Amino acid sequence: MNENEESVEQQDIGFWSQHRFLILIGASIVVALILVGISMALYTSSGAAQLDLSRPGYQAVTGQADNTSSDFASYPSSGKLDTTAINDFRTLYSTQANSAKAVDAFGGDPLDPDALGISAP
Amino acid sequence: MMRKSRRLIILGLLVTAVMSAILLGTVSAEEPPTTDAQISRIRTNCSAVKNTLTQLHVNDALLRVNRGQLYESIATKLMSSFNSRVSGNSLDASGLVIITSSYNNTLNTFRTDYQAYEIQLSAALRIDCTKEPVAFYDSVAAARTKRTQVHNDVLALNQSIDDYQGAFTTFATNFTISTGGGSSQ
Repeated sequence: MNENEESVEQQDIGFWSQHRFLILIGASIVVALILVGISMALYTSSGAAQLDLSRPGYQAVTGQADNTSSDFASYPSSGKLDTTAINDFRTLYSTQANSAKAVDAFGGDPLDPDALGISAP
Repeated sequence: MMRKSRRLIILGLLVTAVMSAILLGTVSAEEPPTTDAQISRIRTNCSAVKNTLTQLHVNDALLRVNRGQLYESIATKLMSSFNSRVSGNSLDASGLVIITSSYNNTLNTFRTDYQAYEIQLSAALRIDCTKEPVAFYDSVAAARTKRTQVHNDVLALNQSIDDYQGAFTTFATNFTISTGGGSSQ
């Protein structure tokens, strides 16, 4: 190895060692951006975005998310099955079935052009 | 023979053309034409319509969260649990299991359809209705169709809930008869 080659190698080593902190920061930012991109893609494609009421524009209804209607006791999946157990289930199921059917969810036609005032005059 | 078959082919083509024209006429009659007056109306009411759609967007999101939780809980906390209990007691739960499976499939469809509807409504909200009234109108029409599909899913879920209740009543009646009001063990 001659003197010129040694000097070039030292210059290369010098560059990496001199800028290693900046390279570390740069590489960290790139990795973070890639991971954020993957997370956002999953967040959007999985449907989680549609359920996220903490998004901008939804603050008005964030507090109205109703946890009580679905927060009922789970029916025991094991145990003896007798008349009492059947009656317990009947009562529990009827209550929740009535609750589910009480609201005509997504009914009506609010996107009707007439209702929106964009139909042909 | 050749002449006859030619005539038949020509007659067939004519009938097809007439039928196509009638069908196309029917389809275009269902889609309201976007006239100049209508375009002008969309531009004039743009701001008000956007406000209405924004409010609907928010309210539907809340409805999706609340209804979705309840539908999910009915499946996991009631239907599946009861089916397991029946099976655990060596009784026939096949009728209940079939309805539960159908309910879960409908619930998945409901989730997918709501997602499609939300994406479509968001797309409509992003369109500037003063600059692109026709695109806005079409986008709202597509969102309307998808919202109707979500409503149909809700009706199907309600039907499954009723079906399960009916199957349960039958099961309970048979159970009472077979055990004489006692227990299975």
